[in-house]
Amino acid sequence: MYGWLWHRLPGGTGARLAALAVLVLAVGLLLWYVVYPWASLHLPADPAWLG
Amino acid sequence: MRLLLRISGEVLITLGVLILGFGAYLYWGTALGERSAQHALDQELRSEWADPDQLAALTGPGDLGLGQPFAMLRIPQFGPGWQFVIVQGASARQLASGPGHVPGTAMPGQLGNFAIAAHRVTAGDPFWHLPSLRVGSMIDVETISGVYQYQVTRAPRWVAQGDSAALASVPYYPGEPARQRMITLLTSDPFWTGTRVVVTGVLVRTLPRQQGG
Repeated sequence: MYGWLWHRLPGGTGARLAALAVLVLAVGLLLWYVVYPWASLHLPADPAWLG
Repeated sequence: MRLLLRISGEVLITLGVLILGFGAYLYWGTALGERSAQHALDQELRSEWADPDQLAALTGPGDLGLGQPFAMLRIPQFGPGWQFVIVQGASARQLASGPGHVPGTAMPGQLGNFAIAAHRVTAGDPFWHLPSLRVGSMIDVETISGVYQYQVTRAPRWVAQGDSAALASVPYYPGEPARQRMITLLTSDPFWTGTRVVVTGVLVRTLPRQQGG
């Protein structure tokens, strides 16, 4: 999976590393600001809520 | 077979990283979100309290929209800096911003049971120390109309998650008519325990609110 992704990235090693950093950052931001906030409201990690 | 093992390994590593990230978000991300929300709610509350027309406008819980701030909670035993703005509503969305008033229960100072829920281990851990309250501990609730001082009358009690008897007008006695001005604080234990921590108290004093405070 990660090997496949690495070979799909364009350019030499430096360009691939830069593209990978951008990709990791984008996924991280998506998780932190969209996916995790949504999940924290729907998963019973600390179910203090009522209703 | 080797390919299958490699793919499985990569999937498991990815899942592990996602779960660790979610744990980090629950601990730090929700605390940052709660701190920022409390700051905004505090500003909103102070600007509302500066308007004398608000006192006449707020007469009951029906006047408050979900998520609207209306009171300040202080528990002196938790330290001089421990204070949280209370919002209307106790769903996951409202509790992400701080303690929430359970709809359908009394308002501060009213006859009946004023119930507040808050997180214990996420969203800034507002009720982390709730089990340390003892009979005689004070709970102060400041609203636009005054400061209501409640005193804990029953040591923290652990009840099942689905047990709503503590929210009755007389806590633990559903159906009984209200005779006192009570307060109930609720939080959850970690989800695997299936229990809640409940603290109840009674109003002992009402003081005028300090203007400009």
